[in-house]
Amino acid sequence: MEDGVLLEVESVSKSFGALAALARVSLTVRAGEVFSVIGPNGAGKSTLFNVVAGLYAPTAGRVVLQGEEITGLGPEVINHRGLAKTFQITNIFPGISVYDNVRVAAQSRVPLSGRLPSLWRRPDVDGPVMELLAAFGLTGRRHELAQHLSHGEQRYLEICLALATDPTLLLLDEPTAGMTPGETKGATALIRQIARSRGLTVLLIEHDMSVVMGISDRIAVLHFGEKIAEGPPEAIRSDPQVIDAYLGGAED
Amino acid sequence: MSKAVSWRVALVFGALAALPLTPWMSKYYMLLAFDALLFGAVAMSLDLLMGYTGLVSFGHAAFFGLGAYSTAVLLERGVLSLWLCLGLAVVVVGAYALTVSYFATTRRGIYFALLTLIFAEVVYTFFRYTQTFGGSDGIQGLPAAQLLPGVAIDTPVRIYYLVVAYLLLAYLACRVLVWSHFGRVLVAIRENEDRARFLGYNVQRYKMGVCLISAILTGLAGALYPGRAAYATPDLLHWSISGEFIIMVMIGGLGTLVGPIIGGAFFILLQEKVSSYVEWYSIIVGLVLVLIVLFAPRGLLSFRRAPRGRPGGEAA
Repeated sequence: MEDGVLLEVESVSKSFGALAALARVSLTVRAGEVFSVIGPNGAGKSTLFNVVAGLYAPTAGRVVLQGEEITGLGPEVINHRGLAKTFQITNIFPGISVYDNVRVAAQSRVPLSGRLPSLWRRPDVDGPVMELLAAFGLTGRRHELAQHLSHGEQRYLEICLALATDPTLLLLDEPTAGMTPGETKGATALIRQIARSRGLTVLLIEHDMSVVMGISDRIAVLHFGEKIAEGPPEAIRSDPQVIDAYLGGAED
Repeated sequence: MSKAVSWRVALVFGALAALPLTPWMSKYYMLLAFDALLFGAVAMSLDLLMGYTGLVSFGHAAFFGLGAYSTAVLLERGVLSLWLCLGLAVVVVGAYALTVSYFATTRRGIYFALLTLIFAEVVYTFFRYTQTFGGSDGIQGLPAAQLLPGVAIDTPVRIYYLVVAYLLLAYLACRVLVWSHFGRVLVAIRENEDRARFLGYNVQRYKMGVCLISAILTGLAGALYPGRAAYATPDLLHWSISGEFIIMVMIGGLGTLVGPIIGGAFFILLQEKVSSYVEWYSIIVGLVLVLIVLFAPRGLLSFRRAPRGRPGGEAA
């Protein structure tokens, strides 16, 4: 393992029938950085995340997390290796309280989990749950059913769920999707701050270029399933291929 | 369990224990009360799957019937110990439930329900159409089981107390289970199976676990049945019985444990009372059930409890 490398995506391809959603995409994410993957709709960003997080096995290529190969493992196993994920479409437990949402996520990591006494005992995870709720301003809403939260609050709750499993690497799939510009700004700042304070590595998908420019250490650009550029925000901003992909290209 | 709940449980079971002392409890009513509580207990076990995990089993009659046959086979051979009967039921039903749930939990929704149904039909066909265990006649004329050597459970009152004790223990076990770490994960699976996987839970393992627990509780109830009826017949394994179990859970109230007990008892009493007056009782029973679904879609329990979000959300 190269020094400081947390996640390596090596020449990953994924096809659905005749459609090649990803073609030989490689990425290297270093510990502690915020790495963003951007690209137009349908560029393969979510597919890349789903391959990394274990929802799909790649057609070809390897995924290595903290020096161990995780290619083709299930999401529940990969989560235990230190990777947590949020989804593009909010994915929470709608019919139970906000507090219970975070509790069930937090109790996934106690030693009791998966052992026989878990049938009659319940771990006390009140501390970490309340801490997470406070960090995202959800303390006052903890007794509400999750489905009664506003859209923005539900997005935050989902990040709480992911963080409650105490990940090393956090995958956020368009965390600000559907937020107002004001909310987006607040959310971006909050994500950056929480990643720093917890020493997290963040792999972020964004659709909105302006969001990633402010918080990313490095950015990769996907276009039609291929990586067309990678580098720090300033370099990406002025890359002619990227401008072409986003503006639709003058020659088409 | 909170103090208020503990008091309520003590009160209800105190009343159930005092029931045989009341003057109008004839032998007939004792046995009717036995049926009501026994099927209430079965509906409660099914609620672990339906109400808490979001899985509909269409094959619970097989667990019930296998439990009944376990007792019947031992009693027929002169093994009268109740504890051996219950033990055999746990082994037989447990092995069968592990097999069914291993395959059924690989599928979701209607496919899960269908797989449980298909397995149960195989069991029914085996008992009904082979002579291994008496074919369509089943095993008849069984002696009473014994609690201890020489202490036979041979009167309606003793049989009744046996089911009250079983219901109390099963209820407490289910209450603790849905409160526990395990129970919280079940509710999470019901709410959003994929999210639970991405939080590190091996969903299939949890589903198999709850299937096994629900099946064993149902099988134990089945093992008590020959003590009341002195027989085990293939009718007990029929899919229509599985359907009745589902109805009991639905009319009682999903995800509440207490609701399905009431639903099961209500169903048995309604069926028995109406059928003693008219032969076409199914029509009336069906009509009553339709009215309940129309006017109390959250079950009988919702008449006295203000709705608090989705079923089970407030549980434990």
